[in-house]
Amino acid sequence: MPPPRLRGGGIILVKREVILIKGKFSKLLIKNFAEYKWNYLFILPKFLLFFTFIVIPVIWAFFLAFQEFGIFETKWVGLTNFKEAFTGDLFWIALWNTLRYTLTVVPAQIFIALVLASLIHPFSRKIQTFFRGAYYFPTVTSVVVISMVWRWMYTSKGLINYFISILNLGPINWLGSSNWALPAIILMSVLTPPGVGIILYLAAMDSIPESLYEAARIDGAGSITSWIRITLPLIKPTTLYLVVIGTIGSFQVFTQVLLLTDGGPGYATTTLVHLIYNAAFRDFDFGLASAHSIILFGIVLIFAFIQFKFLSTDVEY
Amino acid sequence: MKKFILLLIGIVLIAAMLAPSVLAESKVKITVWDGFRWPNEEGDKYHWIKSRIAKFEELHPAVDIELVEVAWEKLGEKMNIAIAGHDWPDIGPVDISDGAVNLKYVEQGVIEPLDSFFTEEELNDFFPAALNAYSYNGHLYGIPTSMTVHALMLNLDIFKERGVEPPVDGKWTWNEFVTKMKKLTFDRDGDGNIDVYGFSTYVLKGYYEAWPFLMMDGGKPLSTDNTKYTFDSPEAISGLTKFASLKFNHKVSPMEMGSADVGGCFQAFANPEKRIIAVEPWASWAIATLRNNKKYQMNFVVAEYPTGKTGESVTIGGSGGFVVFKQKDKEKLKIVAELAKFLSDAEQQYTFAVNYGTFPALKSAQAMDPFKDNPQMRQAAEMLKYAVSLPRHLNWPQIDERIQAQLQLVLNGEKTATEALKTAGEQVQRFLK
Repeated sequence: MPPPRLRGGGIILVKREVILIKGKFSKLLIKNFAEYKWNYLFILPKFLLFFTFIVIPVIWAFFLAFQEFGIFETKWVGLTNFKEAFTGDLFWIALWNTLRYTLTVVPAQIFIALVLASLIHPFSRKIQTFFRGAYYFPTVTSVVVISMVWRWMYTSKGLINYFISILNLGPINWLGSSNWALPAIILMSVLTPPGVGIILYLAAMDSIPESLYEAARIDGAGSITSWIRITLPLIKPTTLYLVVIGTIGSFQVFTQVLLLTDGGPGYATTTLVHLIYNAAFRDFDFGLASAHSIILFGIVLIFAFIQFKFLSTDVEY
Repeated sequence: MKKFILLLIGIVLIAAMLAPSVLAESKVKITVWDGFRWPNEEGDKYHWIKSRIAKFEELHPAVDIELVEVAWEKLGEKMNIAIAGHDWPDIGPVDISDGAVNLKYVEQGVIEPLDSFFTEEELNDFFPAALNAYSYNGHLYGIPTSMTVHALMLNLDIFKERGVEPPVDGKWTWNEFVTKMKKLTFDRDGDGNIDVYGFSTYVLKGYYEAWPFLMMDGGKPLSTDNTKYTFDSPEAISGLTKFASLKFNHKVSPMEMGSADVGGCFQAFANPEKRIIAVEPWASWAIATLRNNKKYQMNFVVAEYPTGKTGESVTIGGSGGFVVFKQKDKEKLKIVAELAKFLSDAEQQYTFAVNYGTFPALKSAQAMDPFKDNPQMRQAAEMLKYAVSLPRHLNWPQIDERIQAQLQLVLNGEKTATEALKTAGEQVQRFLK
């Protein structure tokens, strides 16, 4: 019996199929390829680009992490770069700053996206489209531009200090104080509307059958109860996706840091990617930068694994 | 016969197609990187290098030069990437002792020594400080075209508004400096808030406008042989304490001092719509901007950094010039070196001095008296004799980062000068081994 096929042309190998002998499996692959050759052909250009510009550099970075990079020759140094990374005076500071940023920004952005999507969803299509566009707009705006605007807003006579002066507070040296610099960057990221999250949540909410809400209404459930008991569980796959993607993105926070504080004051806003950037492009230490990158990859992998473990769901409707 | 004619036509067509590329191949291709300099009437800030390239190509028809325009702030990053990919230019506008080109490149042979392209007489025409900036391990690794110093720029309109006299001959003691800065800090619109401050600057990696204050009582970052950190000496701590007192004790500096970015600091000083700082330290290029750039033209004078316990003013000096990158073809190296010299001759150095706010590295260019109508540059030129260079250490970018990070913490009030400079010493130690 041939193994069941997925719609995309892939093959699921269930336990009993593992016994397929090599020749039979190869035949199956050839048959599969023959059947779906156009599908494979269409994805070939993208795959080639992905392989050339992502896979090969990643593999190269992995090898570089074990070498002392020189312009004309490189030297194999084993785990020296990793040792230097872990014992360096900035690595743990950068990791802690990155964790603080990620653990604040990701939940806050997802919460904001969820709330905004829930508020937009009941509106008519036309109004929804307006809000989708409005909230997505900052996503296509360059982080550089947004950062420059926020930089002005954080000055002693900027907008933020003006608002808090109304409450007879401040002024606060937002970007110049170790206590405030990272929260200032976090605030900027949190208050930039999460356009992608809103769009995805709205799409997920659209796909929930109306009959479930009708049944809940008949059973006496109010709108908040329906939201908690029906909407939230059924959009859990979207939440998982946003959490994973958001975590990966937040661990790579860099542009805001470079433009707002350049890692300072002191090392109050130095993040892992900022550290990698400095090691590679300022200190020309590509070996150490690659080691940092591999460590970052490992950390993100662990986080993604934990998130899949706790947030994945087999809910279907 | 017909076949023969067809074959002939084919050969002619192929030859016609290949001819341009073959001819192009016969030309020597040279790639030059340069940063923006002063604008011409059309606003083109690369007009100087373009005109020199055109002239050189005219003199050498077999040479084809490609110009790559690079913003100065991106030069180091782009150069590092190019070098890592073995795609360096033939000529680049970098100082081998600053962050843009790491001394490691020199050690690894990416930069060509140019000793053999200069006669003894030509070398003697350079000011020793400029020549020294491009020399390493007894070899010359570039051609200095200019020297710069950091100096204090004084907005005379604010001085006049407050009835404050600028220092005589641009010289002042620390106490005189503080007294004047206090008078220049004031509430212009009477709303109870300070609108104009006497002094401000920034503290960032790779920028040294604040460092002469740390050095005014005799402090130095590293020992002469670059093996020991010495910025934790009582002299350096005293200098930094005084510098921080401008903000916290004398309150003559804004909250942003120490955390502002370069552009923001310059705008606060020079933008006619702002001009909320009376005195700021800048490298001498700012003199040309404040004199010639219509957007920022200002009524200003140049003054020295105030003197401390040593009784002598001190400033940080720098050098600019061109380096020639590694060449496989020794014949091409000769042409590239000739081009580098062509870009750096006395006439060009004079042009830089007049338009770009730099001091010539050649005595013969200085002899042309480029500053006869420029009192600010003449004043700044006086400071050349007090100028000290930054330590030349292979790990200077890392050392600099540690020191600057601690300076930021002093200027935001989180650390004392003693704590900060001692912490920097502990962090720097591993890079001095």
